Parts: sequence; structure tokens; C-alpha cells
Amino acid sequence: MSGTAGTKAKESAAPTALQMLFFEVAGKAFALDLVLVDRVIEALAPVRTPRRPAFVDGVIEDRGRYLAVFNLRRRFGLPEPGRSHTAIVLLRGLDLDPLIGLTVDRVLQVLSVAPDVILTPPPRVFGIRAEYLHGVANISGWPVVWLDIAKVLTTTEPMTLLQ
Amino acid sequence: MNGRQLVKAQGRSRGAAPAAAREKVLLFRIGEAVYGIGIGGLWEVLPLDGVTGLPTPPHQVCTSLAYRGRTLPLIRLPELFEASGTAVPPSARVLLIHALGRPLGLLVDEVLEMTDIDPRRIGSVPSAATQLSPAFFRGIVRDSDRVVILLNGDGLAGMADVAAFDA
Repeated sequence: MSGTAGTKAKESAAPTALQMLFFEVAGKAFALDLVLVDRVIEALAPVRTPRRPAFVDGVIEDRGRYLAVFNLRRRFGLPEPGRSHTAIVLLRGLDLDPLIGLTVDRVLQVLSVAPDVILTPPPRVFGIRAEYLHGVANISGWPVVWLDIAKVLTTTEPMTLLQ
Repeated sequence: MNGRQLVKAQGRSRGAAPAAAREKVLLFRIGEAVYGIGIGGLWEVLPLDGVTGLPTPPHQVCTSLAYRGRTLPLIRLPELFEASGTAVPPSARVLLIHALGRPLGLLVDEVLEMTDIDPRRIGSVPSAATQLSPAFFRGIVRDSDRVVILLNGDGLAGMADVAAFDA
């Protein structure tokens, strides 16, 4: 008990690093909170579902479950297919189904990021309005956009990623 | 095999031993996707002869089916699913089902085959994957090398367009 209390006290004194998954869409780097990420799997051809939302590709089967797959290129108004659709990030904890898939061009890496590296975004980043972003950062010289992925996927406002 | 023979043949096999509780499902195509419906409520598979009111696009979802002197509602699944081509293909058929205590026609692009599924392996259609009512779907299931979306006849029979047909 005392050890736990001590750890908590230490955490409150020094901000905890954010664990983030970095990935690429149309040559730009984006980040997601790792807490939302269940797993990353290879891209699968989805089963097309009837009258699906504009940026949903369909359904994939994963470990006996069926998941809706969202396509981030299409959400960003980009032509398809992208350079490569090599990965589906499985996300949980969004205000959608218990688990969904998110198709991205390429998964880059998982990194711990100090909170003070994250900056408040300007009104638009790559054409995306700030209300869809948690922040921006410069990671090893790369501009990275931390997406509010729940908001990105649960709203229907058109978006256009500037290239 | 025509549709009526197919249903009769499968109806006989239903009386056999319950082979590991598997269930007969009729597979059909709408657009490029494969769907299925349990044969429990399936009466007949009909050619398009008796279908009336098949206008050129844009089509309405619910139209009429002339069947043995009666006029029945017909749900045009390609329109409902937004998988409609420019014309009704020659392969199109009507599945005559009995749902919610009434006969109902379902227009499909092509009848494929009968298959067996394990009902225990039926999963839910993710709500985020479609804008249609979940009541229209019984679930989703793997059938060897493909995944099939199973329709729920009662859910389709309960849709507002069918109620409006009766009004």
C-alpha cells in the first residue's frame, strides 16, 4: 500500500510520459494514444456491408469477432488506394463498437512522449481543424499530429488533408 | 435447379438428423456481396414474372409482387442496401418468405446456393459498419472461404415501407 502511495506521489510530481502509436497517412505522421490501441494487424480485404458510412470499408473477421473497419485515407478525403494499406490498427474505448479497425498507410513505431513536448495545435494542421486534434509535436525533426480519433471517426464533417 | 425445386429438396433434408446442429441457409448475391437467409421461413424462389412495378432507377425500396392472385409487398434489397445497378439483372430472383405472420418478397440480384452454417458461430454485424437498422440482420458468419451476412426476415418485414404498403 505504502509503495503504491509513494508511486502515485512520484507520478503527481513528475508528469507521466504519454505512450503513443505513430503511423503514416499520405506521407504525414500522426499519433494515437496507445491506451486506445488493442493490436495492429495486417490489412485484410473487408467484407462490404450494406449502406455503410462514407469512410467505413466494411467488416473484417478477427479472432472470431467481426469488426467495422474505418479508412483514414477516405476520412481525410484522399484518393484510394494509398501508397500501401499495410496495417489495420484495432482500437477500443471509442464511442462506437467495442472494437473497431482503422486502416492506415503504415505503422511507424510506439514512443513515449513527454507531455511538455506536446503543443496546442494551431487552428488548422495539414488542413484539419484543431478541434479534431489533441496536439502537435516535433519528434526527431518530424511534425506529428496527435489525433482526437474518437472525434475524427464519430463526426461526419468533411475533411481534406492537405498534401 | 430452379428455385422451387431447390427449396423443396432442402425442405426434405431438414427432416433428417440434426447434423451437429448445423442450419441450412440460402445464399444469394446483392451487388458484389453475398448474403444468406435461413430456409425456415423461406417458401419459394420465384422468377421475376410476377413482379410488378419495376421502374427504372431511382427505384423505391418497397414495391408489389403479384403472387397467385394476391398482391404482396416486395422489398428491393439492392435499393435498400444501395447496391443497385442500372437495371435489374436477368439473374434476379424473388425470395418469397414468411415473416411476422405474413408473406413477403425479397428481390435479390442472384440466388447462389444452399449451405450449412453453425449457428453458434454467428457473430453480430458491427453497428458502425452499416447505417441500416440492426433488426435487418441476424448476424454474420464464415462459410468456408467467405463471410456471409445473414438477413433477418422478421426485421425486414417490420420495416416502415412494408407497413406503408399495407396502408
